Amino acid sequence: MGVISTIDYVIIAIYLAGMVGVGLWFAKKHTDFDDFFLAGRSLTTPLLITTLISTYYGIDVLFGDSQLGFTDGVVAWFGYARPTYAFFLIAAFLLAQRLREEDFKSLPDILDKYYGKNTRYVGAVTSFIYSLPALSLYGFGMLGDVILGWEPIVGMLVLGGIALVYTLTGGFWAVVLTDSIQFVLMCVVLAMAFPFAMNLIGGFDIMIEKLEPSYFDSMGDISLWLIIIYASTGLAILVEPTFYQRVFAAKSYKNIRNALIIGIFIWGSYDWIITILAMAAKTGTLIGKTIIDPGTGELIQKTIIDPGVAPDAALLTVMVAALPAGALGLFMAGVLSTEMSTLDSYCLVAGGNVAYDIYKPAIKPDATDQELIKTTRYGILLSWVLGFAMAVSFEQMLGLWVFMASILISSVLVPILLGLYVPKFRKPLAGFLSAGLGLFSTVILNVYIMMNGTFDLEEETYIVQWLGIDFLQEFVMYITLPISLIGFFIGLALDKGGRS
Amino acid sequence: MSSWETFTWITVLILSFGSIAVFVFFVKDIRQILKKFQKEK
Repeated sequence: MGVISTIDYVIIAIYLAGMVGVGLWFAKKHTDFDDFFLAGRSLTTPLLITTLISTYYGIDVLFGDSQLGFTDGVVAWFGYARPTYAFFLIAAFLLAQRLREEDFKSLPDILDKYYGKNTRYVGAVTSFIYSLPALSLYGFGMLGDVILGWEPIVGMLVLGGIALVYTLTGGFWAVVLTDSIQFVLMCVVLAMAFPFAMNLIGGFDIMIEKLEPSYFDSMGDISLWLIIIYASTGLAILVEPTFYQRVFAAKSYKNIRNALIIGIFIWGSYDWIITILAMAAKTGTLIGKTIIDPGTGELIQKTIIDPGVAPDAALLTVMVAALPAGALGLFMAGVLSTEMSTLDSYCLVAGGNVAYDIYKPAIKPDATDQELIKTTRYGILLSWVLGFAMAVSFEQMLGLWVFMASILISSVLVPILLGLYVPKFRKPLAGFLSAGLGLFSTVILNVYIMMNGTFDLEEETYIVQWLGIDFLQEFVMYITLPISLIGFFIGLALDKGGRS
Repeated sequence: MSSWETFTWITVLILSFGSIAVFVFFVKDIRQILKKFQKEK
């Protein structure tokens, strides 16, 4: 990446220093645990928009969307991104209001109220595992390597360490404030990138002319089955611990509802531009340009973008080729932002699980607010260290990602939603069996597939042969979710007493 | 200009002006919150 200039590095350095500064500023300003963990339940609509958007959009979205846009075209938006907005609408109009009706602080709090302490602990462990920042740290390793030329482990330690410092010191206020800076940086830079990318390839019409017609087919060449699988990943929103934390931190239900509705337009625009930029990268691999060979001085033909570029590197490659000095630094800082805002939020939730959902109810029920803040900080550190250990030891991070994404849906989706909406279902054994069996089956199946399956480089997932069928790791959820549901109703049938 | 390009420019406008507008309101709100912190100190 020799084209990155000094001004770009200066911009990145200023950005990173600013993030640490925000964390240190908030370091000693927290009055109680609510203030540290939920920003005093005082988040207004603009604060919620910025923190919701920047938290959800990590580099998995940035590079995942762009990868699909590069290989398949606009279906990346219509098939993959768009269905998630429907889940955001459900969350805005149905879920958030229900969540605000009671004084919850965390997702396991809900399980405790409806099913008792044992289910709370299962939910807390699940939420903690789900929130481990392994993927974010792995992403920092990759970004450090690509952007700054660092060894991946140095990128994880330095970039991930900066996010750790401001989260540890500043708590949720620092997360919200840094998220806002990261939000505006991400959005403006991405919007600005579009005209530069069009200038690079010669305009939008060239893209339409050069790419296969299927690139502009809203359902593309992807099977309906695969689209359903992509769309169902949006279910995670309904039990996302960072989403719940923001609902509880909102000043009122109206604030969170409005933030989600406005957010959908920004999310949609963000996803669309990523898709188009990736398609511009694909176009760049098909267009030639004449350059002077630095070795021989002769005129040679070369494509604008190397045709051998990896699909997940397409976005970064086209930006390096299209953006001028300074703008590229802003873009790089924007890419770092997307990951920092994700890592800080999940580390904080994991820390809260340790302190508020396990330490307080199980070890010290009379813990003071200061003790809870201190334990949350230990929990944040623990989650970071475990995430780091996973990031450096797992060879196939995608397998780990699928495992972590399915664990939460499989164990808490059923008891949370049924508990919230059907009061007569609030029986301790129902919640415990549902969450416990969901967690247990997810762990067993994922470990089995990762140990006995083969990693398919083309499908980018683990596959095992079952009854002559290729069983992808992504399918695990379709077994474990029904197990969780069956467990719930068995518990309901067996539990004669308990609360309701 | 194709409908795809028009749609893309609309998303560019939403993303740029939308995010700046949200940030302006954010700054307005955060100033009051920071004032609260200063007062408490």
